Amino acid sequence: MNFWEYLGTRHQQLLTDTYQHASAVFQCMVIATVLGVLIGVVSYRSGWGGSLAITSTSAVLTIPSLAAIGLLIPLVGLGVPPTVIILTLYGLLPIVRNCIVGLRGVDPSLVDAAKGIGMSRTRRLFKVELPLAWPPILTGIRVSTQMLMGIAAIAAYASGPGLGNEIFRGLASLGSANAINQVLAGTIGIVILALLFDAAYVLLGRLTISRGIRA
Amino acid sequence: MTPSHQAPPKGERPPGEHDVGGHAFRDEEAEPSPPPSGPKRRITWKKLVLVPAVCAVVLVATYLWITNVDLDSVAQNSLAGDTVQLRWWQHVRLTAISTFWVLIIAIPLGIALTRRGLKKAAPGVTALANIGQATPAIGLLALLVIWLGIGPSTAIIGMVIYAVLPVLSNTVAGLNSIEPTLVEASRGIGMSAMGTLTKVELPLAVPLILAGVRTALVLNVGTATLATFGGGGGLGDLITSGIQTQRMPVLVLGSVLTVVLALLVDWLASLAELWLTPRGLEEA
Repeated sequence: MNFWEYLGTRHQQLLTDTYQHASAVFQCMVIATVLGVLIGVVSYRSGWGGSLAITSTSAVLTIPSLAAIGLLIPLVGLGVPPTVIILTLYGLLPIVRNCIVGLRGVDPSLVDAAKGIGMSRTRRLFKVELPLAWPPILTGIRVSTQMLMGIAAIAAYASGPGLGNEIFRGLASLGSANAINQVLAGTIGIVILALLFDAAYVLLGRLTISRGIRA
Repeated sequence: MTPSHQAPPKGERPPGEHDVGGHAFRDEEAEPSPPPSGPKRRITWKKLVLVPAVCAVVLVATYLWITNVDLDSVAQNSLAGDTVQLRWWQHVRLTAISTFWVLIIAIPLGIALTRRGLKKAAPGVTALANIGQATPAIGLLALLVIWLGIGPSTAIIGMVIYAVLPVLSNTVAGLNSIEPTLVEASRGIGMSAMGTLTKVELPLAVPLILAGVRTALVLNVGTATLATFGGGGGLGDLITSGIQTQRMPVLVLGSVLTVVLALLVDWLASLAELWLTPRGLEEA
């Protein structure tokens, strides 16, 4: 059976896996973005809090995802829970860091000017600071998503959902005729998903980055 | 300090003051700056101790837990003899060898891509690198296993392919971010292209290259956990056999050791970064 025949006969399974992969990554990215920006907003003003957030996130990023999944399994079991926790946790990290860096990079004179025309603290944050810090935050979201695509594949080993299952099925049946098809389908599917997400973020950037700071 | 400051003041003025048209002027740096007391210590005590201390505490706690928990025969088999040490050293070896090859390949290639002849190829390589980065490590490894068969060398090849990209793009970015006037100046005073590269460009690009090396090391420790899926050994073996046999002590031990190794490697790389950055590039 060649690759195209394989795609033809298994498209149902493949589409389900692809959909689950994309939806797991997307949902976890939404949670991670909300949490990440919240943590960034809370901590960027204190030098101590901000550097604590940045050091701890970069320390967590050095931990291999398979080891992190391994540490979660005794606590939450196999399947969806460790996958969601791992994806959200790792997705959080680049966003927190870029959010803090972005908010700290906002020109203080602009914040002062906003204060001068009578904006409240909340309005300053939402009307001035966050729009200016949005491009680096969006970059963080892109980096996170790409990373999560790969981590989600590994999470399939802990019975998580998604295209990683194709890859592990292929690895489990090494030598069989379909092994290469399964691995190829899983890998190429993930690459395509990653590129599609990336294109979507470029579009999102076009639509949401404030016109005044667009390059 | 400009030479005029060093000129001895006229007798009637205390050192550091000048007499200009009857008015006394005092130097900004009137107090003699303390003599440079040797190189300032860049590697602080806290940086040196914190990570190893945390790792030691975690290791001791895990050891105490493993020795006190009831291990059934399956778990004992998984940890029998010197399996744990063997896996640890396999992991270290996988990481070290793959990082070595990454550096050998990526840094010269990065230099070549910033030379005049190949500069046009750079955007193509960057685009390729971006697509490569979107490839999941486990998929790449699985394809290599099917293609080349199982074994540590397959795992190492996969790790090298996966980690070459960040080091390469960091090297190119580091060399491209150098101010062109500096390169021109060094050519202007008669340095050869090679001299400019080794004496000016590479030292200036060191921080970014080192950051790339650190990224490669950390990535490789992580990808080495996947070597187990290609029969490459390493600490991933403990994790996967823990998951398959549902023996939590084996799983936790494998995971904890991997985390400790990753933190230690990152810590060593951060020390190397501080150590190897040229003094002139340090932030004041």
